[in-house]
Amino acid sequence: MNNALGDEQRDALQELMNISMGQAANSLARLIEAKITLSIPKISSVTPSEFVAMLSSEGMWHTRQSFLGSVKGEVVSLQSRLGCEAIAELMEYQLPLSDTTREELLLELSNILAGACLSGFAEQLALTAKLSMPTVFDPEKLSPDHYRWANTLSMEVEFKIESSQFDSKIVICLEEDSISTLLNRLNSLLE
Amino acid sequence: MPIPVTIADDSMMSRKAVRRALPADWDIEITEATNGKEALAAVEAGKAEVLFLDLTMPELDGFGVLRYLHEHHAKTIVIVISADIQPEAKKLVDSLGAFRFLHKPLNAEQLSQVLFDVGLI
Repeated sequence: MNNALGDEQRDALQELMNISMGQAANSLARLIEAKITLSIPKISSVTPSEFVAMLSSEGMWHTRQSFLGSVKGEVVSLQSRLGCEAIAELMEYQLPLSDTTREELLLELSNILAGACLSGFAEQLALTAKLSMPTVFDPEKLSPDHYRWANTLSMEVEFKIESSQFDSKIVICLEEDSISTLLNRLNSLLE
Repeated sequence: MPIPVTIADDSMMSRKAVRRALPADWDIEITEATNGKEALAAVEAGKAEVLFLDLTMPELDGFGVLRYLHEHHAKTIVIVISADIQPEAKKLVDSLGAFRFLHKPLNAEQLSQVLFDVGLI
């Protein structure tokens, strides 16, 4: 089975993501009442060891949520700690954030971002994927073999909010069957 | 004589989507640009009486292209086609003189309506 991502497929995925991130940014912009500048999403395939390395990046908060449907997998989101503070400030939360408030904010942000990423695939490729509720986790407390994903797609998006920067990385882990399903749909879109 | 039209978008899929959405019987000559600089070069070369413009692009983004055209009082008819659907983006695009702002994914009927509104078809 060839699950490699070709240039055309990458371009198509990037554009689907661009469209869904536009929708996510719009929801986020309404939430924080600020204009958000979107970057071009970066799409890449990630090996299991790269994935573990990615999770150990410093200065980020991590959340995860699984999804089920005609494609199955898990979405892991990484959000910069500084960026979260900046958003909290814009939303007039009291700083420094309490652990409970921060968790609430993180879960809300990851729901918006992961939800948009996934709906980008699902709606535009006529696939179904239902997201579960996100949870915050600490990658240091999980053993590497916890991640059984052999194939993951990483979609990096970066939002700039006024003067502050909010970096966010959304990693979509797909089961092998789901990757083939996704690639087949992409290919038919490109015909 | 065919109307010179430029489609500026960094995504090949999106350029294809615009091509597909254009009325089949519209007599045009299409140039493709993959970033803002190429879009401006197409305008300078007289290849863009109508410019379909994406906003999020490398090198020079769509806002940069609009700003340049606005400052140089260019006659190009710009139709922005973007995934950035924030009201602020629309306001900025309007203030820079774009003729219309269409959201991605592009709707062919909407596009035809816009071309009709501007008197192109």
